Amino acid sequence: MSDPMAEIRASFFIECEELLESLQDGLQLMDDGDTDSETINIVFRAVHSIKGGAGAFGLDDLVHFAHRFETAMDEVRAGRFSPDAEAIRLFFACADILADLVRAARDGDQVDDGITGPVLENLDKLVGLEEEEEEDLDFTPATLSLDFGDGGTLPDLPELPDVSALPSTDAADDALPALDMPVPAPDTDIPPMAEPECKGFSVKFKPEDALYASGNEPLYLFRALRDLGDISVICHCEDLPQLDSLNPDTGHLSWDMTIHTEEPEQAVREVFEFVDGLCLLEINALTGDQDGTSSSEHTPISPAPEISPPPQVETAPSLPENAASTRVDAAKPSATKDTTKKLGEAKDEQSTQAKAAATPTQPRATVRVDLERIDRLVNLVGELVINQAMLSQSVAEAGLPPNSPVSTGLEEFLQLTRDIQESVMMIRAQPIKSLFQRMGRIVREASASVGKEVRLRTDGENTEVDKTVIERLADPLTHMIRNAVDHGLESTEKRLEAGKSREGHVTLTAQHRSGRIVIEVTDDGGGINRERVKEKAIQKGLIPADAQLSDSDIDNLLFLPGFSTAAEVSNLSGRGVGMDVVKSSIQALGGRINITSQEGKGTTFSISLPLTLAVLDGMVVRVAGETLVVPLNAILETLTLTDEDLTALGPETHVVQIRGGFVPLLDLGAELGYRTPQDSYVGGTVLLIGQEDGNRAALAVDSIEDQRQVVIKGLEGSYGRVPGIAAATILGDGQIALILDPTDLVGQATGRTRVRQPQQLLVG
Amino acid sequence: MALRDQIRVMVVDDMSTSRGLITNALDSYGIRNVASAADGPSALQKLATSPVHLVISDYNMPGMDGLQLLHALRSNGPTRGVGFLLITGRADREIIDMGKRLGMNNFLKKPFNPEGLKAAIEAIVGKL
Repeated sequence: MSDPMAEIRASFFIECEELLESLQDGLQLMDDGDTDSETINIVFRAVHSIKGGAGAFGLDDLVHFAHRFETAMDEVRAGRFSPDAEAIRLFFACADILADLVRAARDGDQVDDGITGPVLENLDKLVGLEEEEEEDLDFTPATLSLDFGDGGTLPDLPELPDVSALPSTDAADDALPALDMPVPAPDTDIPPMAEPECKGFSVKFKPEDALYASGNEPLYLFRALRDLGDISVICHCEDLPQLDSLNPDTGHLSWDMTIHTEEPEQAVREVFEFVDGLCLLEINALTGDQDGTSSSEHTPISPAPEISPPPQVETAPSLPENAASTRVDAAKPSATKDTTKKLGEAKDEQSTQAKAAATPTQPRATVRVDLERIDRLVNLVGELVINQAMLSQSVAEAGLPPNSPVSTGLEEFLQLTRDIQESVMMIRAQPIKSLFQRMGRIVREASASVGKEVRLRTDGENTEVDKTVIERLADPLTHMIRNAVDHGLESTEKRLEAGKSREGHVTLTAQHRSGRIVIEVTDDGGGINRERVKEKAIQKGLIPADAQLSDSDIDNLLFLPGFSTAAEVSNLSGRGVGMDVVKSSIQALGGRINITSQEGKGTTFSISLPLTLAVLDGMVVRVAGETLVVPLNAILETLTLTDEDLTALGPETHVVQIRGGFVPLLDLGAELGYRTPQDSYVGGTVLLIGQEDGNRAALAVDSIEDQRQVVIKGLEGSYGRVPGIAAATILGDGQIALILDPTDLVGQATGRTRVRQPQQLLVG
Repeated sequence: MALRDQIRVMVVDDMSTSRGLITNALDSYGIRNVASAADGPSALQKLATSPVHLVISDYNMPGMDGLQLLHALRSNGPTRGVGFLLITGRADREIIDMGKRLGMNNFLKKPFNPEGLKAAIEAIVGKL
């Protein structure tokens, strides 16, 4: 982007998204009963900042609306209006409209005036009509004459001094007007000019041999000390003997440390808690005139007589009308003498203080990067992983000894590749918060349209998920939330009848669980009415009338295409999107969806997704001459079958006995149609597959080749969804291998592991 | 050398958009020596090591607002003489009066255009 204004404009809209997020957060806190002024301030400031930026770009619609919203928030902030639940709902609606306006302005869309009108009317009703009066403010600018010297050509600017070298001008404070607003005491926020107070300890530390013998490492102690404050360490190595007389089991070093900290002595002692009795330890508090650091370390910084003084306002700033001239004073010679001695310390102190002051307020430094660049990087890393696999293979084939430099180098290369890949994936990861916030709006809108009182609770908002996953989750999650509000929760009357709270609850949680992310949508509604679901399914011809179904089978009927249970079609349902679409979009992300429901208590939809869509750790197996990859996180264990393990069940199937339990045996080759079931599986290798719902299955394969990270190459673009197959990958030898979707495979499995021999004989 | 070549300015605003806008405007007048800070404390920290002639600060910032920053600047010897231009979305009498008492050199109401900003700066330091 060459136009700086376009660039600033683009960054404004990104910043707006952040502000909208904190606006939502703030309102949520207010809704939860937080009346802290800082919370209200956050809300106010977010609206105010959006308005300010919008004004600069001439986005009048946005400015107009934000201004009204801001005025209302200002009333709250000033304590002239205490918002009740209704008012906060209105503020939420305002925040939603504000978000719409921001996005419309960004995309150049037109916004219907109709959406702002009613809300603005309500705002006015709530906080009273604003009186828009532009105050006539008389203010005479106070000029500042920058004395660049005289003569036609301006000399260089008066050299501005390093403030740390100068003493405070004590007269200054007297000249200042009294403040009736909270102002941070200058000496806490400004690097101190006065003598620095020496807070901290000097520590003498001499480990005994036993300290090392018990596996302690002084370095870790120093690091722990460093966490308490600035630390300087001097190592005494005078006792070190000549190399030929050095006993490796004897320690010869001792250390003197100075630590500047506000922490009590106890905190310092605690660091050495575990080496108590294993060392000589002496801890002394620093006194005011002793900095602790040995004087030799602190070379006094020589007075700098060339330091020019700061511009000083001659007249008191309280009279800005007269504060017309700035004059450059000559350096006060006395200023240098005393300060120089303490200069080093002052600087140290100053930087610590500055650090301390900066940490809480400063957000972490971030860089905004075009997503395309990251994606390019992700792709390249994917190629790198493939390339590295090919290289490993060639090295293995070359028959080099395992300890050859090439092999060990390759080992490191492998580790580095993995680290790079993880780091790149981390760039793509985002907290799921933005998605959850959007769901807040869905709940508000959905509950309003069906006339239910609903509160959304969220948990695990900071769980990080791949950006693409977040984007592609928005639609299915929206649908699930609407479903929960519309179908999941009962009407208010029914809730009260059932002795529940008036307000229905929908809970949205996210968490990492064994290498996957699990998102749950829970409602505390009536649960799935299985009778009705079954009835409906029979009615629609989805299942035979005499079908014997378990509870979870019935629950899963909801995912069948074209299934809808709402007795009456409400505003929300009947959009042509059923749970089947939700399921397929989750599956497209490599995820799975599950239902658990308890009649009268509520329903939970649980989505489990891979953390990334780019790579996975897989086990490379061979079956019927084909190479396949099984995702590692699905494999609980691998085992070799013995005769006792196998039990025939029915005419065509086997079960495997594993530690007292039975799991069905599936022949991977047969399931995928590569071959007919084998004569015998004794001595064969099986992978024990664990599923989300706790069910297990034993997958028979011919051999296990390798365990490695593979790059996922989607197949759906070319082949659509193939049952049992998640994706494909390129192996080290350039061969393409399919990646299994074990759960899907197990779900669709026939379980045939035996050929009906007798029947064949009869036919023959 | 014109004034614009020599003057050093610091822009303080919590919104990076606003910092960008102001810096961009300053650039268009030929003022190139511009530092910026996202909040009062970090502005003070930066000013301690690299002083400027003029601070252009937003009023509404989290933690330390524009007037608190002004007070801190005026309370500290080396920075007490620095020029101060307050940018505010709401030009309330209260804010302006307090600014006046604290020694604010000028203020500018948002939204402003580059010409307005230039005029407000020139009212303090003279023709750029």
